[in-house]
Amino acid sequence: MLILKRFDFPFAARGLAGLWLSAGLLLSGSAVAELPRTVTGQPDFSGIWQTLSGADHGLEAHGTRHDAPPGPGVADGPLPYQEWAVQQRERNFAQRAALDPAGQCFSLGTPRGVYYPEPFQIFQRERDLTLLFQRGFRARTIHTNDSLHPEGPIGFWFGDSRAHWEGDTLVVDVVDFTDQTWLDAAGDFHSEDLHVTERWQLLDENTLQYQATLEDPNVYTRPWSLSVQLHRIREPGFQLVENACYTLDYDRYYPVPDAP
Amino acid sequence: MNRIHFLGLGLLLAWSVPLAAQEGGQASFREKTLHAVAPGEWSGARLADGQPDVQGHWSNTIGNHNDFTGTANSPSRVTDPPDGQVPFQEWARAKAEDFAAHLENPIRPEYVEPFARCAPGGPTKSLMWHGFEIRQYPGYVLFLFDSGTRLIPLGDAAPLPETVKTWNGDSRGHWEGNTLHVSVHNHNAKARLGRSGEFVSADAAIEESYSFEEGGEYFLYRATYTDPSVLTRPMTVSVPVKRITFETAPDGWNNITFPVSFADASHAPDIEVWERTCVENNADHGQVAVPD
Repeated sequence: MLILKRFDFPFAARGLAGLWLSAGLLLSGSAVAELPRTVTGQPDFSGIWQTLSGADHGLEAHGTRHDAPPGPGVADGPLPYQEWAVQQRERNFAQRAALDPAGQCFSLGTPRGVYYPEPFQIFQRERDLTLLFQRGFRARTIHTNDSLHPEGPIGFWFGDSRAHWEGDTLVVDVVDFTDQTWLDAAGDFHSEDLHVTERWQLLDENTLQYQATLEDPNVYTRPWSLSVQLHRIREPGFQLVENACYTLDYDRYYPVPDAP
Repeated sequence: MNRIHFLGLGLLLAWSVPLAAQEGGQASFREKTLHAVAPGEWSGARLADGQPDVQGHWSNTIGNHNDFTGTANSPSRVTDPPDGQVPFQEWARAKAEDFAAHLENPIRPEYVEPFARCAPGGPTKSLMWHGFEIRQYPGYVLFLFDSGTRLIPLGDAAPLPETVKTWNGDSRGHWEGNTLHVSVHNHNAKARLGRSGEFVSADAAIEESYSFEEGGEYFLYRATYTDPSVLTRPMTVSVPVKRITFETAPDGWNNITFPVSFADASHAPDIEVWERTCVENNADHGQVAVPD
């Protein structure tokens, strides 16, 4: 497959390069040629996406529960917890109804926001991608402008995301996390030293392949990976709806005053 | 080290410090007159889809959400009626005054301002708090606030059914020259216009315009509220807004940006804002100050 990196071209030529790249791939007859692309030639991830994987119920393979259907899991095996962390995960699982931070509508974190069962929308510019999650209506920015992580530690809920393109794959380096987010509704967790490497790739115009490798020397014995597919929501007229779910517990105190 | 803690602290301070001590914004952004920008042609940069390119970081220049109808140092954001006062029906004025009277002594949960709990600020108030960012995409204008995100689709697609209400509403926008016109539907009207308690009903029609100045240094936000159930006549609110650049001094309120680091030192300077979260770090109000 013909691969051209965007930094191979002077700025003024990038638009033409993108067109030329698309035309070249079309002529080659490759299915990849049908990928939507931006004016600068990168795969265009813009759209509203959601996974059908059921990953948020539990990253590991799991049987049926009162609060979740069974699933084959999306991780590359049992999560390699350190011994103490196995016990912590068991405590989290036992108290998941009360302790899951998603239940308080806190920011879902990375990678959980990507496979949470609620849509998110990707907006793409040359300098960054913005992921707007319907749950909480929170935005995560993935910077693609050759910038560096700010000096940490910081404690971001989504982490700090800096990315580059490797061919048609967006590779994202995410660090500077809080330890307050979970990885799923089953109590899987991490520490502030979590390091996530994401790989995003369009399989076709309506399917994104998402892979995340997680390293955390405080919690896991080795790096491990998960993989889900994201599907473009194509219902006519579909749109995100502001879901400020964190206001639900006090919403009742604010009826709009009525005339006497 | 960590601005997320600062943001929670900022909310706490905004709630507890006497209003007189925090009127206006930071000195570098405080202007005493409204910088007018008239609707007109746009000859500046455009995006690939034809929209005027108005992306970047911005902040209001007059007062903040504490002084909606003005003080000695900040003119009222109400520019019509000309007297700068909200044209309330009498019962509604009494409701607003009751809220204001209890703002610093919230003896009941409803007197704690929703914004202090990290609720989205609503269409107008969001522009009168911290600085914010505008990003644009084909078919969309996206506003990123420290308390809430507002997505404005362009075009004339039907808004959500009226039964769906949200804090920032469901918007539809279109460009005319230098001006983004936005109709706001589906707002829940729970976000007060100012901390002094001004409000409208969920039936209020809100028509906004954002007029951007040639050169890109300012824009003028105007919103006309028509609400026969609360107001005696339509009201127009105006918020002047100034661009934040790399050269603008950060002040922790209007300008909350920081310079970006690049491996290539010759890279053009740039600024970013740290992750926008609120309720997660607002334990004193957003999470705890809710009885039962």
